[in-house]
Amino acid sequence: VNWGVVQFPGSCDERDALAACSRSGEARLLWHGDSDLGGVDAIVVPGGFSYGDYLRAGAIARFSPMMEAIGEFAAAGGPVLGICNGFQVLCEAGLLPGALLVNERLRFVCRQVELVVESNRSPFTAGLEVGESLSVPVKHGEGRYFAPDELLDELEAAGQVALRYAPGQNPNGSVRDVAGVTNEAGNVLGLMPHPEHAVDPLTGSADGLRLFEAASGAAA
Amino acid sequence: MVELEAASTEEIAALSEKLLANPLIEDFEIETIE
Repeated sequence: VNWGVVQFPGSCDERDALAACSRSGEARLLWHGDSDLGGVDAIVVPGGFSYGDYLRAGAIARFSPMMEAIGEFAAAGGPVLGICNGFQVLCEAGLLPGALLVNERLRFVCRQVELVVESNRSPFTAGLEVGESLSVPVKHGEGRYFAPDELLDELEAAGQVALRYAPGQNPNGSVRDVAGVTNEAGNVLGLMPHPEHAVDPLTGSADGLRLFEAASGAAA
Repeated sequence: MVELEAASTEEIAALSEKLLANPLIEDFEIETIE
């Protein structure tokens, strides 16, 4: 699998995303100002502070030429993973439902959390068991997932809530403990926790690697 | 509050809708100052 990792001005997790992707295939950086995806099979929109988070996190990055190409890639069924700021960018771009707000306690949080797999219809959760637990770190100040109740009901009914924080683990006040959602087709997944920081037991957990391996298996 | 110069109110409305506000979580009002 050939992974592409998007780099915006202000991205800071693209190197870890590259390293994580490289464990399950080939990986290369894609500059946000380009619009050529170079024939990659899967895309990661990584974490960081694209454009300094001005206006709202992800609000400016979504206008990058690369995002137009990613929109077309996603519409054609290509797998896209948005992590943290990447999740915010995908929500702003309309590729994922909902929005990310400032954490409930108005503080930046950085800690390991337990996630529960709610749906395995995404290529990134394919092969994971619904109900199983993953240990992955979070680090963000604007990670409180929000969607109106009616939309949340629809997302849950359609299996678009892919991951939730385990009971008592919600670090930011996200509605209904939502940690990650997919688009309707399931090929685009966004989550606030950082699977790319959990790919080696030496750093506390390798559970995050399973998302990259799952997508590689699905794309193979 | 954001003050902007523009040729028309429509231009400001389009800008607000496209960039300054996410309608899922925010709203905006436009006040014209001649």
